[in-house]
Amino acid sequence: MPAPIVKLVNVTVQTSSQYETGLWNLSFELNAGELLLVRIERENERLPLADVTEGLVSPAQGTVTFLGADWQRLSVDHAAAHRGKIGRLFEDEGWISDLDVDENIMLAQRYHTQRTEEEILEEALRFARMFGLPGLPRGRPGKVRRWDLRKAACIRAFLGQPTLIILEQPVRGVYADFMAPLLNAVRSARTRGAAVLWTVTDPQIWNNPGVRPTSRARMLGAELHVIPMES
Amino acid sequence: MAKWAEPVGHVWPKLVARVGGFARNHWFELQYLAAVLGNALFLGAQPRRWRRTVRSVFAQQLLLFGVESVRFILIMAVLVGISVVVQLDVWTGKLGQSQRLGPLLVAVVARELGPLFANFVLIVRGGSAITTELGLMKVGGEVRVLEAQGIEPLPFLVMPRVLAMAVSAFCLTVIFVLVAFASGFGFGALIGQTNSDPAVFVNSVFKAVHPFDALGLLAKCLLPAMFTAVICATEGLSSEGSVTEVPLATKRGLARSLGVLFLTSAVVSVLTYS
Repeated sequence: MPAPIVKLVNVTVQTSSQYETGLWNLSFELNAGELLLVRIERENERLPLADVTEGLVSPAQGTVTFLGADWQRLSVDHAAAHRGKIGRLFEDEGWISDLDVDENIMLAQRYHTQRTEEEILEEALRFARMFGLPGLPRGRPGKVRRWDLRKAACIRAFLGQPTLIILEQPVRGVYADFMAPLLNAVRSARTRGAAVLWTVTDPQIWNNPGVRPTSRARMLGAELHVIPMES
Repeated sequence: MAKWAEPVGHVWPKLVARVGGFARNHWFELQYLAAVLGNALFLGAQPRRWRRTVRSVFAQQLLLFGVESVRFILIMAVLVGISVVVQLDVWTGKLGQSQRLGPLLVAVVARELGPLFANFVLIVRGGSAITTELGLMKVGGEVRVLEAQGIEPLPFLVMPRVLAMAVSAFCLTVIFVLVAFASGFGFGALIGQTNSDPAVFVNSVFKAVHPFDALGLLAKCLLPAMFTAVICATEGLSSEGSVTEVPLATKRGLARSLGVLFLTSAVVSVLTYS
């Protein structure tokens, strides 16, 4: 049986100024094609969950493994290469202000892969059309409309067939015209074997049957409570 | 007991401890900077690190530090050429030491002023840009975004800047020295103070150049430039909290870079020419 894509075992992360709360004794695993939907509290939106899953934050206790490798034991180079296999939609959008949005979208692919510019652009344009954009937004992130930036963030998260996709409240503020293409993109990614970690605060998405998570969990303070799924 | 009444015997150990602490802190800081510089150079020596994104950052920085500073360095070189070269030419002539013009020009303009001015321009233009840009990126969470995408700051942000600074420093120094000599000779010839035969002038300069000069020149233009990039990058990347940290980091970065520039210049001069 292949190793889980990501596995957290008894992970505890101390509260720091970066986050509104830490994590306490958190465990879950995600295999190929699985989706974990995590509902987080509005008063504790800034969590180290995505960062610890990506190995950016070292847990005070416990282990986090990605594709069978413990982030703590990986060299800086290997960890960076592994992170290149993760697509992430940042909670706060996360753009490099000195690059245009289209350059931002393609940056990780251009950095980590040998794919040609045309190949990357073609895939990005395919996602752009999927998310209702006529093309890739040009111009600095500060000059692009917030809605278009959200869609651009989605293109970036799905570009390059990532093994793990982390979606931090992806439809916040853009629900209506965005949910259907996002669900389609998530479904395709899961079908090809990607795992998805999706955080929400909005009950509308939490209750949306189209999301089809393989497991659900709620963050209560620093603790993750996994809710058993009805078969 | 008031401080002034402290016995002299207690003052000396405190003073020695303070000086020792200062020296130790600066030694550790130097070790850290040298480690970052060593790592950046080590990464830069590996062809696989030169991914297309890193190459484009390098080209962008080279344009920013080097190409955009050329006009400024040309103006300075012309002014220095006119003042220093003409002065030297006039005084060596008056003292009947015209044959010393070449060695003096090489010593003053090529060995000292060239690298000093080039690095000075780079500190003002490039160093401040590095600290501000990286500081704002750090405070704005952009460095975290890069790391989350598997793009490490050292090979992507620091290494290309260090090498772009080094290449720019070398090119600007060469431009400065050549233009200063040319403008000095031209102006001297114009006012009738120098031998108007350029071959004589060029010959006297070339005769004065020794292999050590090239070594000293390289060390003097490359070391401060690379240290400037490392100092400013580490200052920028250590900004935390709010954007108000960035100007402070820039101020620290520039002050330290200037300190390193003059220190390196003095140390290399002592080591090379003493």
